[in-house]
Amino acid sequence: MFEQIPVDIGLVHEGERVRKNDMQVELGGPAEPEKCEIVLVRPVDAITDGDISIVGPDIGSMEEGKHYPLGILVEIAGAKVEQDLEGVIERRIHEYSNYIEGFMHLNQRYDIWIRLSKKSFKKGLNSFKYIGQVMLELFRNELPILEKIQITFITDPEKLKLLYREALERYESRDARARGLLDRDVDVFYGCALCQSFAPTHICVITPQRYANCGAISWFDGRAAAGIDPKGPIYEIVKDECLDEEKGEYTGVNESAKKRSMGEINRVYLYSAFGYPHTSCGCFEGIAFYIPEADGFGIVLRGFRDITVNGLAFSTMADSTAGGRQVDGFHGISIEYMRSARFLHADGGYERVVWMPAETRERLKDFIPPSVYPAIATEKDVKTIPELKSFLINLNHPVVQKWKSDETAARATADRTAVLSAGDIPITAGGYRIILKNAKITAEKVIILPVRAPPPGGGEHRGAQKK
Amino acid sequence: MVNALSRKGVNLSIKELDSDIARFRDISISIGAIRQDTWHEPMGPTPFPTLSTLRNWDHALLKRYKPFYLPFCDLCCLCTYGKCDLTGQKRGACGITMAAQQSRIVLLTACIGAATHTGHARELLTSLIDRFGSDLPINVGDVGVEVEAPITRLVCGIRPQTLGDLEPVLDYCENQITQLLSVTHTGQEGSNIDFESKVFHAGMIDHVGMEVADIAQISALGFPKAEPESPLADLGLGTVDVKKPVILVIGHNVTPSAGIIDYLRAEGIQSEVEVTGICCTALDITRYSSRAKVIGPISWQLRYIRSGVPDVIVIDEQCVRTDTLLEAAKVRSPLIATSEKNCLGLPDRTDDTVDDIVRGFVEESIPGALILDPEKVGEVAVRTARLIAPKRKKQGADISKEELGRLAKKCTQCMLCRRACPNDLPLAQAIKAAAGGHLSLLDELYDDCVGCGRCESACTQKLPVHSLIIAAADQKTRTESYCIRTGRGPIQDTEIRKVGGPIVLGEIPGIVAFVGCANYPKGSREVAEMCREFAKRRYIVCTSGCSAMSAGMHRDEYGRTVYEQFSGAFEAGGIVNVGSCVSNAHIAGAAIKIASIFAKRPLRGNYEEIADYVYNRVGAVGVAWGAMSQKAAAIAAGFWRLGIPVVVGPHGTKYRRMLLGRSDKTEDWYVYDARSGGKVYAGPVPEHLFFAAETKEDAMVMVAKLTMRPNDTSKGRANKLANYIDLHKRLVGGIPPDVHLFVRSPADIPLTMKDDVTLYLKDHDWKEQPIPDPTLLPRLIHKKRV
Repeated sequence: MFEQIPVDIGLVHEGERVRKNDMQVELGGPAEPEKCEIVLVRPVDAITDGDISIVGPDIGSMEEGKHYPLGILVEIAGAKVEQDLEGVIERRIHEYSNYIEGFMHLNQRYDIWIRLSKKSFKKGLNSFKYIGQVMLELFRNELPILEKIQITFITDPEKLKLLYREALERYESRDARARGLLDRDVDVFYGCALCQSFAPTHICVITPQRYANCGAISWFDGRAAAGIDPKGPIYEIVKDECLDEEKGEYTGVNESAKKRSMGEINRVYLYSAFGYPHTSCGCFEGIAFYIPEADGFGIVLRGFRDITVNGLAFSTMADSTAGGRQVDGFHGISIEYMRSARFLHADGGYERVVWMPAETRERLKDFIPPSVYPAIATEKDVKTIPELKSFLINLNHPVVQKWKSDETAARATADRTAVLSAGDIPITAGGYRIILKNAKITAEKVIILPVRAPPPGGGEHRGAQKK
Repeated sequence: MVNALSRKGVNLSIKELDSDIARFRDISISIGAIRQDTWHEPMGPTPFPTLSTLRNWDHALLKRYKPFYLPFCDLCCLCTYGKCDLTGQKRGACGITMAAQQSRIVLLTACIGAATHTGHARELLTSLIDRFGSDLPINVGDVGVEVEAPITRLVCGIRPQTLGDLEPVLDYCENQITQLLSVTHTGQEGSNIDFESKVFHAGMIDHVGMEVADIAQISALGFPKAEPESPLADLGLGTVDVKKPVILVIGHNVTPSAGIIDYLRAEGIQSEVEVTGICCTALDITRYSSRAKVIGPISWQLRYIRSGVPDVIVIDEQCVRTDTLLEAAKVRSPLIATSEKNCLGLPDRTDDTVDDIVRGFVEESIPGALILDPEKVGEVAVRTARLIAPKRKKQGADISKEELGRLAKKCTQCMLCRRACPNDLPLAQAIKAAAGGHLSLLDELYDDCVGCGRCESACTQKLPVHSLIIAAADQKTRTESYCIRTGRGPIQDTEIRKVGGPIVLGEIPGIVAFVGCANYPKGSREVAEMCREFAKRRYIVCTSGCSAMSAGMHRDEYGRTVYEQFSGAFEAGGIVNVGSCVSNAHIAGAAIKIASIFAKRPLRGNYEEIADYVYNRVGAVGVAWGAMSQKAAAIAAGFWRLGIPVVVGPHGTKYRRMLLGRSDKTEDWYVYDARSGGKVYAGPVPEHLFFAAETKEDAMVMVAKLTMRPNDTSKGRANKLANYIDLHKRLVGGIPPDVHLFVRSPADIPLTMKDDVTLYLKDHDWKEQPIPDPTLLPRLIHKKRV
């Protein structure tokens, strides 16, 4: 396959790093103001299949140890090739480049940073034509829907300027399209059954406004994958009839869930943590957890290494969320879904979110309505549920209005079973003697929880990970 | 036994109770139920399994992986009928066959291993409870670890929350080991497969014992708690300040060594004495104190003691050279034995005063003492080291180069040394060259030598052959300076969650654990090389025990050890050192947690279902490249029962049998598809359960192959195949001849190898196969809901 390429091509080279001292040349990177890579869809007759051209100096004529500008333009065409797939296909450039021995590719779009090692250069990797040949071969093999592929490497700064300008515009228009695409605008969603190899009853439904739980697969990725391999683990779900726009229930999604989960799951609400919430396997990025006392949601991401406001840690709640089950109020989510306008839409969206770690709140600042943002408590503001409640009242969080209109919620919080009723027994403390006569203490169940004191051992790593 | 932790209906009445704060009269307290906590998980089918409870599962595995015997000894000499010759079709006086006898010895071996870990766990737990109380909470990873004791939950069906909760777990282990050991009595069991099933049982018990030991010490002694970036510790004698008094600890039970650290801390003299270790005690003492240093694996005992650097030698249990007293005497270092299991004939001085014992040592009136009190050991060792160091002046037993030449000339070339060498090193030739002034041949043996010293016993001229090698290698031991990541303990639940995506998306090809002893065919270098290669290929690499040290004893072209080159997290390309031998439980634990984390399979007393899950879905492989001990055999057996294959080095054949699958027998490789209920050919994955590789190259190709599982997504399989094919091409040559057995659909073919593989498939009459939702258990077939 790669007999004509002077270096090895394979997965094994993916993690390779080329250090400065071992570098023949650097292409793009922080020292070059203008660099880019882009995939553009062209009309079938506008490009020549298999054409690789180099505009400007080739690698062989570059000075050792120096950096140069670079633009990589991959033009593609085919009956089933849509502009929506450009971004997905573009990411393959990174992947394929890194299969090449001694050719390190970092970042994407206008940020690319490539280094070629001296070793590989000495083996004969001295021209972009080899890089182009590798990409061409891999594109053809992996993506047979590409009927024509033409690749251009531009190192001439003047020529690069033109491509760079066009690329920036296209990135922007692509992003705008991705941001603006609504679930109601499309006819198909995508299902992902990859995780069924570990969680046999779970499937993810991927829509423009709901990323896969793992955060790795967007609707565009789903579209590309299903287009390339319709029998594969990522498949098309025709939306069909919309049963509930607010909750996000569609007959097509229900049917697909029923079939793929072997009847375990019959209905799915895409935008709610209650009723028939979307299931999770185990690799969700975060959890939205219902806090009954506040009638709102806490959000916690996988990386948060402390207990949350309800006294439970991520790992403890994750245990209630996973395994392809529908559990009311414990909802596995991706970070990208939290940037969606449909995030927990049926439950009130961010107006229902009452707690999240400070770092997460900051990260999502642009997606949280400014009116709610300051009223969402963080671990820095509150540690317990009572503290949370007073915080919400003080900052007039939208849920507080809901409490007033929904008295029962408030009652539920007060209605705690007392283990020991002290009504008949005088409570005295501090130097006084307590005398109990004919007292009877009855409990249906006593839960004994160990007091978590720091271990008395002399080791140095005690609690060191809690930062 | 289950009820020991969830009592029902407690009634308590008190007629009179007077205390400082209150007086009570006629109180009656009645409580409906006391539960240890709020564990809602219902009890599974097999809590506290006995010898035959999981027999069906074992037999299902053993049907695929039939024992392939490599009799290390053709005779049985366990009873007075014997010796019985079992060759050919002969039976022994009791009627036993060769096959059953071999499996019987394997069971004996596994029992020794399980007993050793469980005994270690018991001693440790008893002393920790004495010190910290039985209510000390178990905490092995704060909020990052929800499932604190996956193996105990799985096997016993209990969730231990305090040190005291671990006691009934060990009661169970001890009971089972006794039952298992009794099976090896003459006339107890006649079927080799039933012996093997019991080997699996012993292995499972061994894992429970290991888990108890490690979670107890992590919780009580403040070891790193599931920290991905636990600190790096010094490794090698070159990191030791030899001007200071030096204490050497050898063995596996950290208690006496912790006593030494405690005493140094209490006296505020930590910086004045070097505490160095060999074998697992060394690993565990670095988890306790950042100042402690690891010298090297078990094979470093002779070379380190003979260097004369250690002023006091403290031994505890397991894998301690039994001639340590003799070696210690050669360099005038007093020896302190600290374990009832390992007294070495020394007088018991436990009840004597510290002053008396120290005086005896310093005046050299006694060569060693047995002290069964860790606190006393700490004080005696430190005080003796400080007093004796100036007197000893690090006098070693190693020899100079001049002496080497002189001694080498005495060699008669009888070749007995080479015959005695487990690795058949060309000793006589090298000594001959040394006699002629050429040291390079002898020098080259340094890295390959496993330090057993058998050459010296064999030598008719009484030459210190081992020391000759060290001398020729310029006393290399003295300058070795590396690092090792201190044992982190368990894998965090969140780390497991994070790798779920990359595994199904084909970014992580599998999990490879390098564990076990240092009986390597070609030195420790090969372990380091394998670790580096698999981490580079973005496998998750785990290490433990002596292998963890060996992995750190080599540097790459930039001067980095693998612990500096790769992260310590459980992620693609991470090198995760879990810790000592008993920390191996966390590797099995991680596999078990995968089932609970992704599929929410209940763990509680649910062994068979979880093992079926791990076997069919978790692409993990263990490599015990220098497996030597009975403990290593038991650890391997625990992995087999979970369905995790183990690859050993060439010495592993001496464990008497392999468990090999037959990829040519198509009928062996059907699984149930839990979705359809049908039987589906899933290919020979994993092909073997226990395999001895001749060379490092064979091992690496086999490891890549054994990470494949029937549930692999196409992306996952493509990545696994890419590594398997690439390693085969590089290390053996050409496309592996069985590659067609592992491709189920065109999407399984690695992208960069599409042409070659497609061509190969065409030549091998390949047909597309479905990817099942695999299980060996018909009861797990999904019942369709209407």
